[in-house]
Amino acid sequence: MNKIRIGYSEMTAVLVILIGMKAFIGYPRMITEHGATAGWLLPIASGALALGLWLIIARLLERFPGKPLTAITELLLGPGLGIAVNLIMFCYFLVTTGLLLRIFSELVILSLLPETPLSAIAVFYLFGAWYALYYGVEALARSSYIALVYIGIGLVTSLAALFPYYDFRMLFPVMGFGFGSFLKSSVFEISSFGEVIALAYLVSYFSSSDRAKIKKIGVWSMGVVILLFTSMVTVYLMVLPYPTSTETFVPIYQLYRSIFLGHYVQRVEAVFVIFAAFTAIMRIAIGLFVTLQILKDTLKIPYYRPLLGLFSLLLFTIAFTPQNIVETVKLESLFSMYYGGAITFGLPLLLCAIAFLGGKGEKAK
Amino acid sequence: MANFWEKLEEKLFNFKNARYQEKFILEPGNEDKTEDKGEGKAEDKGEAKGQAKGEGEEKALDKAKDADQDKGREQEKDQAGDKDKEQNQAAAGEKEDKERDADQDKNKLKKPRKPLPLHKQKEKRSGKPEDLYVSMDLETNREYLNKIYALSKNKDIIIRDFYIATKPPLKAFLIFIDGLTDKNIINNDILKSLMVLIDEGEIVEERGRLAEYVMEHLLPGHDVALLDQYRSILDLVNYGNTAIFIEGCDKSLVIETKGWDRRGVGIPQTEEVIFGPHEAFNETLRSNTGLIRKALRNEKLITEIQKIGSRTNVDVAIMYIDDLANPKLVEEVKHRIASIKTDYIGVAGILEQFIEDAPFKLAPQVLTTERPDRVVSFLVEGHVAIIVDGSAQALIVPVTMFSLLHSPEDYYLRVPYGNFLRVLRVLALFITLLTPGLYVSVVNFHQEMIPTELLLAIAAAHVIVPFPTIFELFVMEFAFELIREAGVRVPGVIGNTIGIVGALILGQAAAQAGIISPILIIVVAITGLASFAIPNYSISFGLRFIRFVFTILAAFFGFFGISGGLFLFLVTMVSMKSFGVPFLAPVGPPVKTEPDVVLRGPVWSMEKRVDYLTPLDEIRQPKISRGWIKNTRGGKQQ
Repeated sequence: MNKIRIGYSEMTAVLVILIGMKAFIGYPRMITEHGATAGWLLPIASGALALGLWLIIARLLERFPGKPLTAITELLLGPGLGIAVNLIMFCYFLVTTGLLLRIFSELVILSLLPETPLSAIAVFYLFGAWYALYYGVEALARSSYIALVYIGIGLVTSLAALFPYYDFRMLFPVMGFGFGSFLKSSVFEISSFGEVIALAYLVSYFSSSDRAKIKKIGVWSMGVVILLFTSMVTVYLMVLPYPTSTETFVPIYQLYRSIFLGHYVQRVEAVFVIFAAFTAIMRIAIGLFVTLQILKDTLKIPYYRPLLGLFSLLLFTIAFTPQNIVETVKLESLFSMYYGGAITFGLPLLLCAIAFLGGKGEKAK
Repeated sequence: MANFWEKLEEKLFNFKNARYQEKFILEPGNEDKTEDKGEGKAEDKGEAKGQAKGEGEEKALDKAKDADQDKGREQEKDQAGDKDKEQNQAAAGEKEDKERDADQDKNKLKKPRKPLPLHKQKEKRSGKPEDLYVSMDLETNREYLNKIYALSKNKDIIIRDFYIATKPPLKAFLIFIDGLTDKNIINNDILKSLMVLIDEGEIVEERGRLAEYVMEHLLPGHDVALLDQYRSILDLVNYGNTAIFIEGCDKSLVIETKGWDRRGVGIPQTEEVIFGPHEAFNETLRSNTGLIRKALRNEKLITEIQKIGSRTNVDVAIMYIDDLANPKLVEEVKHRIASIKTDYIGVAGILEQFIEDAPFKLAPQVLTTERPDRVVSFLVEGHVAIIVDGSAQALIVPVTMFSLLHSPEDYYLRVPYGNFLRVLRVLALFITLLTPGLYVSVVNFHQEMIPTELLLAIAAAHVIVPFPTIFELFVMEFAFELIREAGVRVPGVIGNTIGIVGALILGQAAAQAGIISPILIIVVAITGLASFAIPNYSISFGLRFIRFVFTILAAFFGFFGISGGLFLFLVTMVSMKSFGVPFLAPVGPPVKTEPDVVLRGPVWSMEKRVDYLTPLDEIRQPKISRGWIKNTRGGKQQ
């Protein structure tokens, strides 16, 4: 049994960073591509749907108290198929984390350090993630909890600093391309919240009293992320209206560049990088941890630390697999924010169906 | 021949024993006293030490010594018994009969053991102080001491021969270390008492209880111990006590005569405040514990003493409030100190390195302070204080990052002023950590952030400098560190002069020579000033070091490097623990706390003690601590 315990607030912070980091990269752009002026409503609609799915998955976890999703999968599907499904989830987190590493590295090159080799930036990110995981998930979770407050303050300040550019008319028409399109996008966009499933793999890090709160942690973290996405997309649309909003690589960077509050407060995009890079290292570390945790539980390995070096290298390799930045962004958007939900929500829902229909689970008995 | 002497000695012994009983025991009122003495000494060592908490450690130590002494006596009895069996079984049988007779005699003292002949004793003993016991023969004791202290070479060990003015006069000598002892006590209270001030009619004939008699009737010292094991005697003599050996007596009297030259209670050197006490610890343990007891007048304040350092044998005081400090914490502290196996621990800084959790991390996990009032404030929170004899600092455990950034003055001032200082200090922390890195980043990578005029000014100042900014910065930082170190090492006035002259002349000259840009001097100066605003010397050191890491990262990666550095810094800090308490508590992990983390609330609003220490008494004060308030908001009406 795992001796390391992560508290309620700390786990919520971990999830907020794991899911919400998209706001710092392409999420606002992609959402306005799909929703146009209704983009600011899409996070609410898709978030509500994702929340509903999470509540169903949480019921599955309640049926198997104290067991992570890896164990539940094997119980329901048998060892062979169970391991295969777990490995699919493992691959999903591995690939998305690798692609994010590439995007974050490219972001630094584009915004701050055009002369620096891309690999040097990627290695720096990976070193940060490795260092955090070497000290353990407890340190990572506490760092997330502490950092989240400052990241939040930074974000709110920067969004508020854009107030002179707010144009509320740009949020209309409310339904963008129309209600049908809005609904379709809402369904697809639930993928953006898919990382919430990581919570189901981290059950062993909860104390017995906190296990009952897993559902609540998921709800809270998704609630915070919905708020974050909505406010970010709303400001983005008001400052850079559709269709201009679909043309930026890193929307928030563009927003920071727009800040002009007199002679001395302008061109503060470099400050943005402090927040973004900090959060990015944390996101890569959390992603790597979830990946290793799934593998550890699937293959019944007692410790994940020996795998750290190897998987850092693997992430590095995945990050450099796409030919260029455009291909990376495209892959990441499709994989993580559009179709990823088929894996992150689809597979667990399949398990739910098997468990509920088959009457399986300790509590069901 | 040996048997003859043995029998003679035995007869003399029995004769004197009978005389002694007539004189001291059978007199009314002496019976109880004797009973007490006999049975009181039967207390085992553990019991005596167990009483240390309540009675003060000095007394407890004495009791422990008595217990040691009893144990030693029993050992010698065993030895004597073994020898008898081997050498003369007949004589032993006779002796046993006589002993039995003596036991049956009413209200008599236990018969003192019969000593082994000297040459047999010498054969038996290994010669180490741990195995040696005080002999009845004065010359043998002198021989032992001569060997142990190498008196032919060791010139500050003094042996003074004299006669105790009893009838008949008793030959004796005392031993002490010159420079550690108070000569006035030795002359006036020991020698004068024993040689001059005794009544002429004083008759001491009971040799078996000679030392006890001298202690109870002739010596006026407040702290006298009767010991028979050389190890215990030597430990006390080495710590400024005086031991008296008396002819025919198998115990030594050890009298408290400590009196070395010591520094008085001075003012704090590194933790000065404007408001609040100006007392600081000195190098004497008793003085330091006294300063704490003076401020914390509570019978539950415990001072436990442990000895550390196999060669230095230094006393370490562990202080805590018995009904407040978490027993697990106290046990952990005691365990860590007791487990240290080394020959030398002279000062608190060395002990700190032995007991801290992560020696290679840059932040300290033990708070070092020279202020008794600060120690008291931590003790009443449930912390444990450790004081090393010979060190003018106390160690406080456990400690958090936030307590290292607090200053005693924060609490002595009114809330707004105290908070102002705290905000200033937090800013100082970030300035000292990040300013050089930010400067290097902005100048090298993010020039667009700087308003044009300022950018031009920086560029104009830098245009004549032939070095890259990072090189300039490191040169200046290095010079600043040199000035700081030289200012500390060079005595008094000259030290200050070096600081001012070094900074002014060096900076001015470097700027004029075109080696360093003037703006960089401002950056380094502000950074240096900010580092002085950190109240804890130890963490200030750590921050200075980490600053270089941030500067290097900034030189390579600009703001991205600083961001990464901040992440690594945060992860390192949250992973640290001090005696099981997370270093960033109560923020990471989040635990319940009163308003006293970065900012502080009014003193009357801090009703509970910090949660992460799990103190035995959580409540510091009632919800309404200001009894004079008639109508309270947020509190119940009284």
